[in-house]
Amino acid sequence: MIFFETYGDRLITAFQVHLFYVLTSVTIGFAIALVLGILLSRVPQYAKVIMPLLSVFQTIPGIVFIGILFLYLGMIPATVISALAVYAIFPILKNTYTGLLDIKKEYIEAAKGCGMSPFQTLLEVELPLASPSIIAGLRMSTIYTVSWAVLAAMIGLGGLGEFIYIGIASNNDQLILAGAIPSAIMAIGLSLLIDVLRRVVVPKGIRSVK
Amino acid sequence: MIRFENVKKKYGNTVILDNLSFNIEPGEFVVLIGPSGCGKTTTLKSINRLIKPDQGKIFVNGQEISQVNPVKLRRKIGYVIQQIGLFPNMTIEQNIGVVPKRLKYEKKEIQKITRDLMEMVDMSFEEYAHKYPSELSGGQQQRIGVLRALAASPPIVLMDEPFGALDPMTRATLQKEIGKLHKKLNKTIVFVTHDMNEALDLADKIIFMEQGKIVQMATPEEMLANPASPLIRDFMRKSSLATDPLNLTAADFMSANVISVQKKKSIRECTDIMARQHIDSLVIKNEDETYAGVVTIKDIKKHGKSSGTIGEIEPYQNITSDILENAKDSFDKLYNSGDNYVVVLNNDQTVAGIISKTSMATAMADTLWGDMQ
Amino acid sequence: MDASIILEHLYLVVMTVIFSVVVGLPIGVLAYLKPAGRKIVLWSVEILQTIPALALLGLIIIALGPGKMTVISGLVLYSLLPIVHNTCVGLENVDNGIKEAGKGMGLTQLDRLISVEIPLAFPMIFTGIRIATVTTVGVAVFATSVGGGGLGKIIYQGIRTQNINLIVSGTVSLMIMAVLFDVLMIWINRRLAKGAHNKAF
Repeated sequence: MIFFETYGDRLITAFQVHLFYVLTSVTIGFAIALVLGILLSRVPQYAKVIMPLLSVFQTIPGIVFIGILFLYLGMIPATVISALAVYAIFPILKNTYTGLLDIKKEYIEAAKGCGMSPFQTLLEVELPLASPSIIAGLRMSTIYTVSWAVLAAMIGLGGLGEFIYIGIASNNDQLILAGAIPSAIMAIGLSLLIDVLRRVVVPKGIRSVK
Repeated sequence: MIRFENVKKKYGNTVILDNLSFNIEPGEFVVLIGPSGCGKTTTLKSINRLIKPDQGKIFVNGQEISQVNPVKLRRKIGYVIQQIGLFPNMTIEQNIGVVPKRLKYEKKEIQKITRDLMEMVDMSFEEYAHKYPSELSGGQQQRIGVLRALAASPPIVLMDEPFGALDPMTRATLQKEIGKLHKKLNKTIVFVTHDMNEALDLADKIIFMEQGKIVQMATPEEMLANPASPLIRDFMRKSSLATDPLNLTAADFMSANVISVQKKKSIRECTDIMARQHIDSLVIKNEDETYAGVVTIKDIKKHGKSSGTIGEIEPYQNITSDILENAKDSFDKLYNSGDNYVVVLNNDQTVAGIISKTSMATAMADTLWGDMQ
Repeated sequence: MDASIILEHLYLVVMTVIFSVVVGLPIGVLAYLKPAGRKIVLWSVEILQTIPALALLGLIIIALGPGKMTVISGLVLYSLLPIVHNTCVGLENVDNGIKEAGKGMGLTQLDRLISVEIPLAFPMIFTGIRIATVTTVGVAVFATSVGGGGLGKIIYQGIRTQNINLIVSGTVSLMIMAVLFDVLMIWINRRLAKGAHNKAF
């Protein structure tokens, strides 16, 4: 209890900052990933080369991106957000792409046969059918981003990582937990929220057919 | 209504459509038939520009279709495919309304169309309109598939083996329904099938294709009377012979694809085979390939050991039938014995095949409603 | 940068993966055998994954004191999810007919698992191990914050001293390591799958 009297306010601010980083970067990442995923699914012959290259970049630890961007952009939130957004892209992109490619040919043919334009086919048939996969990618990205956002504190930009870094430096397990538990709660909370979103977005007719 | 002028199509070096020319009159029910790879589906799909020919011209309603926007063209041509292709994310009503919605019909009107169409195939609007495709049986789904093609009352409807994936009962019903719909709505229908019975039943005109060429284009009566090639005669014979059940023997009904092992096979191998093939019994043969009996998974369990050979287990003496025995006699045996199948033996007592209850039902349906592939 | 740091990183990764398999595989099998506990097990490993890696390592260090083995145990916790998940789901997906045949032959549950179900689920289980390995290569960077060494040391040093060469050399070594693991393990999985195929037919 004493702990909360001392750190309560800072913890709430840190939580908000952390959430802000996560939401902004996941939103940006999602938008980019969706567009890229759709574009790549139109040219699978190139995507076959591009996707593995992207997955290699995915192996670069987040800390490196933040570190390098920090050198060039300095200590501003944009550094953190753009680094996190880059990380949020890949799982969503991959799931969008495979989700779109996995759609059975017959639906596309039926859509064409019904006189749907390519854009209408995408909007009304392909994206709804790929939505379970896309949302699963979003969920994964969000959970990762909550975890990576801890790194903001490494360059002095706050968030729940602050508690964790200070805690590690001072060997104070209370402080580490004060950073870790809210961050885990945030990850779980957001993934529950996405489960709700899933129920709204994924059309009823395909919910049982995973 | 639809006219092909010297249409050619190649995939690599294979000629798919070889200088095809023909004419389809308004209101005609035309069936494209032929062996697989003959170009019938390619012909169909080039009418709504799902496939683009290399050379030649196709006219629909007097217009050369390569000059027409494909999206606009397709909205005036109904299209039904074998895989049904109802959009699983849309309700039945939304599926039927796909084209009218795009042609900017009023909401009320779309609902009325949906209701009327569903009535025509005896499906209750109240019960089904708000269901999703996955909640319907295959036959119901394909009915909706046909209705979707009709919804914007296109003058032309293309059907690509629409009933090929349905069971024979449902197929027969839907064939009847489509015949009725055609008479009632007076559409031009182009219909692809590999089933001659279906063609004879439905068509005003049959186009028989082989290797990208038309071998014969004629009314069903004419084609029956004067088939233009041995292949056509063969197609016809298959469909008419099958309807004479008196001459059938066990050989006509058996499945030759029977899994049998010799006595010297190890029990472990046998259970492996059974697991892989999803079967619960094996036909056992003597050294000289003659029939010895049947061993079931139960027998193996009773035996207890998984070592040793299958020959150590006393095989069950399943009922057998001679290959030239009348089919009806074989069926009677099967029904009276309580065994799951009849083992059909050649004259030299080697195994020729089996007739199971399912293969019997399939074969009977086959006889009644035509070639099931 | 010398080779010893790469070896140090490699050591962390390999040890982590070995222990993850030793711990994760039985948990996955248990989760498969006891459907009642399955949800709880899968949920717990997922929760572990939501805790930031850095925090997890920090806590374990405080609990167990610094040292390589403590770093490794933290990384193990973090890489359990793909292994447990893929083991459980892979076993569930084994064809029912095959499971039944095993029962029919009178094999015990253990015998069935070892001689039939695990071999058939192995490609999926191995994929889980591969994902865990590649992830661990990246996550092990945090080891340095808690005195575990490895390539993270180089990268942190680069960031602190604003030395881009140091950052890049650390990162590139890391990427190469991750890609090599990935490619190698995909290749092994294919070989194994082929072997299983040949044996069965």
